[in-house]
Amino acid sequence: MADPLPTDLRDALNAAQARAQIRLAWPRPCTWVYLGLLGLTLVTFAIGAAELGGLAVSLSVLGLALIKGHLVGDYFMGLRAVQGPWRWVVAVWLLVPGALIGTAFTLAAR
Amino acid sequence: MPAEAPAIGPRRYPPGDLAIWIFILAELGVFAVIFAAYAFARSADVALFNAYQDTLDRRAALINTLALITASYFVVRALAAIRMADRDACVRWLLAALGMGLLFVLVKGSEYAHHFEQGVTLSTNTFYMFYLSLTFFHFMHVVLGMIILGAVAIKARAGGYSPQQHTGVETGASYWHMVDLVWLILFPLIYVMR
Repeated sequence: MADPLPTDLRDALNAAQARAQIRLAWPRPCTWVYLGLLGLTLVTFAIGAAELGGLAVSLSVLGLALIKGHLVGDYFMGLRAVQGPWRWVVAVWLLVPGALIGTAFTLAAR
Repeated sequence: MPAEAPAIGPRRYPPGDLAIWIFILAELGVFAVIFAAYAFARSADVALFNAYQDTLDRRAALINTLALITASYFVVRALAAIRMADRDACVRWLLAALGMGLLFVLVKGSEYAHHFEQGVTLSTNTFYMFYLSLTFFHFMHVVLGMIILGAVAIKARAGGYSPQQHTGVETGASYWHMVDLVWLILFPLIYVMR
């Protein structure tokens, strides 16, 4: 059956619907993620300001960085909505330097 | 045929032009190699790296981290705005992101100025060689990201994007988020982990 609405009108209705949905969903998921990223950054800074060191602390800080990177990939870069191999491109990238950095710090601690 | 809603559904490819993602992967690969090189070089002389890490301005790095994360958030909002056909809001969010980028450039520039006043160069020691080359390489990416966001903002202001066609905004956003992503590893690695 033919669509009774002109394309322009349907687009305008879709945009209005999207706006209404987002207003209802305030604060948006990306805002929660943003606040989480700020919080994790402050935790990282506090660890540095306290001059905490050692393998466990370093690996914990690295873990926080990887979580932040994953959040950026999923929610800011939009990979959460992607299906297939591209979905994991940032997660896999994070694992590579994460594993290498973790290995180097572990070797240095011995 | 009914027009597609501007909302985001499941998709096979990441947002933006696929070519920018090939470029992003190449850039991330280069940064991964330099991160690993830094970490393994550090393992050969932990005392030197820890001593010179203390000469860095951690507060400036915190400000820069917050600036880049905030800029990324603003870019997300710009993309959401154009998907809702709100061109003016898209431009405003992009300009706000550019402001955060400018803050990063100014803070990082002042850090470099301080180091150069102290006589620090690439050949001062291994730590500074990595610190200067890694952060300056990233700094250049921030500058390029600002140029891209500026071009996207100009086109958005001219009405060049719509809820149905805004690949340029997605492409610029993806590049900017990559710049943010790299810094999220760089900040703890260079300034905090010891």
